[in-house]
Amino acid sequence: MKSTRRAVLMGVAAMAAPFVSARGWTQSPAPFRFALTPVFLDNDAAVISALRAALAEGMGHDIELVQRRTYQEISGALLDGSVDAAWTCGYPYLQHRAELSLLGVPVWRGRPLYQSYLIVAQDDPATALSDLRGGAHAFSDPDSNSGFLVTASDLARDGQTPDQFFSRVIFTYGHRNVVRSVAGGLTRSGSVDGYVWEALSSAEPNLTARTKVIVRSEWLGFPPMVARADRMDEPSVMACKSALLGLSTTPQGREALKLLSLDAIEPGEDALFDGIAARMAVLSGR
Amino acid sequence: MRPLPRFRNLPVTLRVPLVTAGLMILLGFLASQSVLSALGKVQDARLSETAKLHVEGLSVALGPSVLRQDVWEVYDILDRARSTYDGQRLLLSIVADERGRILAATDPRRAPVGEAVAEFEVGAAPPDAVRMTGDPVLRVAAPLLFQGRQIGQIVTELDVTDLLAERRNVSMWLLFGNAAATALLAFGGWLAVARILRPVGALVSAMDDSKGAPRPIAETDIPRGDPGLSRLISTYNRMTTAVESRAEAERRLAERERFVSLGRLSSSLAHEVNNPLGGLLNAADTILSYSDRPEVVRQSAELMQRGLSHLRDVTRAILDENRLDRVGQTLRPEDLEDLKLLFEPEVASRAQKLHWNVRPGSTGMTGLPAAPVRQIVLNLLLNAGAAAGQHGQVGLDVTVGEGKLFVEVTDTGPGLGQADLDRLLASGPLPPGGGVGLRLVHDLVSRLDGEIHHERMKDRTHVRVVLPPKDGGHA
Repeated sequence: MKSTRRAVLMGVAAMAAPFVSARGWTQSPAPFRFALTPVFLDNDAAVISALRAALAEGMGHDIELVQRRTYQEISGALLDGSVDAAWTCGYPYLQHRAELSLLGVPVWRGRPLYQSYLIVAQDDPATALSDLRGGAHAFSDPDSNSGFLVTASDLARDGQTPDQFFSRVIFTYGHRNVVRSVAGGLTRSGSVDGYVWEALSSAEPNLTARTKVIVRSEWLGFPPMVARADRMDEPSVMACKSALLGLSTTPQGREALKLLSLDAIEPGEDALFDGIAARMAVLSGR
Repeated sequence: MRPLPRFRNLPVTLRVPLVTAGLMILLGFLASQSVLSALGKVQDARLSETAKLHVEGLSVALGPSVLRQDVWEVYDILDRARSTYDGQRLLLSIVADERGRILAATDPRRAPVGEAVAEFEVGAAPPDAVRMTGDPVLRVAAPLLFQGRQIGQIVTELDVTDLLAERRNVSMWLLFGNAAATALLAFGGWLAVARILRPVGALVSAMDDSKGAPRPIAETDIPRGDPGLSRLISTYNRMTTAVESRAEAERRLAERERFVSLGRLSSSLAHEVNNPLGGLLNAADTILSYSDRPEVVRQSAELMQRGLSHLRDVTRAILDENRLDRVGQTLRPEDLEDLKLLFEPEVASRAQKLHWNVRPGSTGMTGLPAAPVRQIVLNLLLNAGAAAGQHGQVGLDVTVGEGKLFVEVTDTGPGLGQADLDRLLASGPLPPGGGVGLRLVHDLVSRLDGEIHHERMKDRTHVRVVLPPKDGGHA
């Protein structure tokens, strides 16, 4: 079912590309600006380069990948139009649900879902979140689902906040940094994107080997690619969407996906993020 | 102080290389010290440079994060700096805030966030002053400056194990290298010195083997390249030759003296026996002719008796006169004539000119014993003859004044050396070397209570011996 839909979309995208070119949006010399976040392996220049090349090929237009440190900056840039699209997290997507729309959701290990991991040092005896009381904890980003919301909402269920529960809370603004923080002993534990931890365990096994996962969350919606809802009809945004969805059909796209350890990008649905929405509700006390 | 005399007893061919080796070791030690000192300075400078670069680089990078107290940022910068910098060198870097609380460290387990940094500052030096102390881990502490103001502190632990190992390696290499070089050079030095000193060794063995009769060193063994040694050996050779020719001369003199005595005995006999012999023969004829005349026979027999008695007296007198062993005899002019006879052949063999000036009868008054005076004069003459060399001049003046005998021997030789003068004039221990005759002269003159004067005038050597008269020794 999915593959059929993807094929149709690919066909549309393929036909649309010359069409949108003819519409003249390429007359503007400004490249399409696509924002990335530390949600994935942000330190790997090869990944960024491959993704940029694949998207540019798919869109038939030059594309600029913009890196921002925080989700807040990404959301702000999206909303004020300084970037045209972004790969963000389900949490900020839901925070700005009214203004944003999905371009696509990556498929990891066959599903558009991932988990949040609670990690500790390899030799740490802790086996549950409750064992980590009084220790230092590393979050990725206050707007990250896996790198903050999951643990914060788990604590909220017990009526606690991270600042109360942990002796010290630091934000590393990168899932890889959370792993480094725990592996290096800066913090006792960390909340990390399960997809990033798994990808790191093959890319940098020495780093992840110094940590271990003690808690895995339920499966939640994978960090999606989004654009402003009011710009979804713009040819460039449509071209971007079709390029994203067609990545798995081109050699360059497949190469980029392979580097990202992803299978494909599918259109996705809001229902994927219901789990995140539920945790947001817990955190806000609703 | 025992080893020193022992060392002195070693052969010179061993002593010199030993001294060379000792100097080489000293030199090697000094060179090693200077190399190690230079290495130490280089290492200190390198260390200080590393520490300064590290601290300064961190200060620039960390400033804003420390101001914000951003633990992750500080850790991130430290962690990345560790891998960027000489990762082996920086063991631990700690950044603390203004209050001395640790913000982050490269090893948060050792230096946990929020702890006091003070315990890590123990024994820490500023980056400029960090020096190798022998400790494998050195601590450096520096203020963290940002925009001209101190906002915290950086403490770094530097691992200098590699520098220590380098130092140790250099020390070992220097030690072994110097030892090998010293051994090699000492061996080379021994070979060279042994080669250089071979003539000296030959000289020593020639003197040792001589057993009182020094033997000369072959011309081929004289090192012409070394003027000092060559002169030394030539001198030695001349000395041995002189000793030999002296012994030869003494042998010849003894022989001649026997012949001279024999000759004088023969002529005395001929003269003294011949005179009465005519009378005796006449008396015998008379007895034969007038055997029948008892008075004539008796008178002739008496005459013959007197004549024979005279002959007996003459024989006795001649025997007394010409006794070969003349010990106890007083000096007479004939003794000096004998010396002339003995010495002339020596003069002739060297084509020398002899000035013989013995005042007639001058010796009769002194009463001095003949043997020692003859020995004195003969030795002085032989020495003068040897000194004057080929075509030289030798002179003898013998005079008597105030009952004293003055003997003066002159020669045109190069003059007496200090060692010869010591032998002739002083009574101290005999200096090593030849010239025993001069010491004999000195001893004989002393025994006769005489004096010896030496003078060098107008290229001539004058040796003057004054001998006082002997009481009651009148001939």
